[in-house]
Amino acid sequence: MKTPLLFGFMLAVSSLGAAAENSGMPPLPPHQMRLEVPDGDRTQSPASGEQLFSNACGYCHLTFGMGTNVLMGRRMAMGLPPQTALLANRTDLTADYIAMVVRSGQGDMPRITRVDLTDSELALVAEYLTRNNP
Amino acid sequence: MKRVLPPNVSAAQFKDALADFAKAIGSDWVLSSDEDIATYSDIYNPGPEEEWLPSAAVAPGSVEEVQEVVRIANKYKTPLWTVARGKNLGYGTAAPRLPGSIVLDMGRMKKIRMVDEELGYCVIEPGVSFFDLYEHLQKMGGKLMMSVPGNGWGSVMGNALDHGVGYTPYGLHASKICGMEVVMPDGGMLRTGMGAMEGNHAAHLFPFNYGPTWDQMFTQSNLGIVCSMGLWLMPTPDSSLQLTIDIPKAEDIGWVIDTLTPLKVSGLIDQNVFIPSWLGKISVIGTRKDFWDKPSAIPEWRVNELLKQYKLGYWQVSMRLYGEVDVVKAKAEVVKTAFRKQTDQPIDELWWHKGDPTNVMDTTLGVPTAVPLQMGAWVGGRSAHLGFSPVVPAQSSHVLGQLKRSQELYAKYDVDFYASFTIGGRFVNNINMLMFDRDKPKDVQNIKDLFDELIVVTKEAGYGEYRTHLNWMDEVAQTFDYGDNAMTRYNEIVKDALDPNGILSPGKQGVWPRAYRQFARR
Ligand SMILES: Cc1cc2nc3c(=O)[nH]c(=O)nc-3n(C[C@H](O)[C@H](O)[C@H](O)COP(=O)(O)OP(=O)(O)OC[C@H]3O[C@@H](n4cnc5c(N)ncnc54)[C@H](O)[C@@H]3O)c2cc1C
Repeated sequence: MKTPLLFGFMLAVSSLGAAAENSGMPPLPPHQMRLEVPDGDRTQSPASGEQLFSNACGYCHLTFGMGTNVLMGRRMAMGLPPQTALLANRTDLTADYIAMVVRSGQGDMPRITRVDLTDSELALVAEYLTRNNP
Repeated sequence: MKRVLPPNVSAAQFKDALADFAKAIGSDWVLSSDEDIATYSDIYNPGPEEEWLPSAAVAPGSVEEVQEVVRIANKYKTPLWTVARGKNLGYGTAAPRLPGSIVLDMGRMKKIRMVDEELGYCVIEPGVSFFDLYEHLQKMGGKLMMSVPGNGWGSVMGNALDHGVGYTPYGLHASKICGMEVVMPDGGMLRTGMGAMEGNHAAHLFPFNYGPTWDQMFTQSNLGIVCSMGLWLMPTPDSSLQLTIDIPKAEDIGWVIDTLTPLKVSGLIDQNVFIPSWLGKISVIGTRKDFWDKPSAIPEWRVNELLKQYKLGYWQVSMRLYGEVDVVKAKAEVVKTAFRKQTDQPIDELWWHKGDPTNVMDTTLGVPTAVPLQMGAWVGGRSAHLGFSPVVPAQSSHVLGQLKRSQELYAKYDVDFYASFTIGGRFVNNINMLMFDRDKPKDVQNIKDLFDELIVVTKEAGYGEYRTHLNWMDEVAQTFDYGDNAMTRYNEIVKDALDPNGILSPGKQGVWPRAYRQFARR
């Protein structure tokens, strides 16, 4: 069966598998069913880092997202395990590095404004992504 | 990062304006650090990112705050450049046409005010992303389907307001707008359509006003700030069949268009059919350097070799039919018979039924994705692209003429040719992709020169662009030259009447208010 091509891109990731957790509906890949963020003052975010990461970064950085695809290729070429393409699995990111990439962009990733992710939200995301650091 | 002030505004006045904005919307939402400015620059700009810098950004959280921002901007004469989510990659991202403008970032306003599953519409605010609305509709049970562009990271409203295109039967997004709430350049409020009557029940259902109809006046425009919008949504079909066929040769696009157009015009095919050329396909398999190791454009003999090696056609047509199974089956027979008259190429069939999982990036089923942003990997480096996007009649003579003109110019400038044709009705949107590495100034200049000449040559042949990057907004506006540019004059009369201080998005689509007309490139 031929997979129709769209804009020249096809799904490059399959080894991670799509965790379909939403019951009663067709299973959606995680990057199309991001966590919700509770309402509140976004300058002192009431949300958790995981919720914020999923909601604001999940467009690209959950399973099947564009960022995951790009990182997958890069990391496998470096001989690293494919799971490390998911930022949430990383143990080597620092808060400063995360803030730098978010605000300055990197490679195909554009800079992220403080409307998309406030400083308070960014700090929580960084805390989440560094939670398993040794 | 370089800093720019709005024209004719002193540093002291600018400081006072920012202080007033902070009072109105909270200092956290007045964004004016160097880092903030950089986040609103155009990272895809063909040239330095500093070419189109704002002086600051402001992000109101409510309609009342938007009104207040507009009043303050009028007081200090600081122009505002409105964006919804500002992900207009390839057309200027969030950056303003007039450097020094203040970006009015509407991204904080992201309520989905309502969804009516029975009548098939929603009312949304500017910050609602394609993913936000998609997830919301799925959680409601998926009775309604969206139409999404290739880049799903942006705003449903921003895309529709910029005449964005998707690939379902509802893919002409601006045509699905119905009833808007708009802050006008003086800070007043207007509701369009039936909504002009307080409490009207058909505000987002009937597409016209009583009297002149103004909805479209706020698209690709600088006449108002849309705060909420009714948008029609398609009921999710019972089933859908995708028919995919590889088309061997470049010139075959002629008969492909002539085969599809009658089916599209009759309504048998109701989606916007997207037809990309080979580069789109080969870039799935690898990046440029895997196929051609020289900086010059890939020559024709090598293209033919690659198509043979990877068993690809020059084009790929993927059509999608929607509806009850029997209806779809019957339509498919008509489509297949039409193609069989022209080719023996195999036609792949892929069924989808309501409740089945969708391909994670199937825009023809309204599934948003940001994966196409990877496209840049083709050239390598810090990649970006532009689209040269003329509209041509959906007939072989016009399409082949446009293809030839573009191909010849790409060859002249020694650039890899990558085009797509999307049949949207009686017309085709022809997107010619220009990809470049932002860190190679010579390549960037070459792409700009090519773009300049594409505009001129295409205009001489009798066609114009539907949308363009900041850098060519004036040039493209000038191609619409009937009556000694009567349209530009008319736009300016309206602009000056509604917005005497020229506060809203000066220069958008080449429409300049009196206050800043000296900045127009004419
Ligand atoms: C790989 C790739 C593929 C793409 N594919 C497509 C595609 O298939 N179809 C397509 O259409 N585009 C496509 N794009 C272009 C672009 O990314 C999308 O159109 C995107 O949706 C635009 O960004 P946005 O939605 O955030 O709109 P914004 O940038 O927020 O808004 C766009 C413009 O609309 C106007 N506007 C926005 N909000 C308001 C408001 N509240 N009031 C008044 N005016 C307003 C402004 O003029 C603004 O500049 C693609 C881009 C890339 C990089």
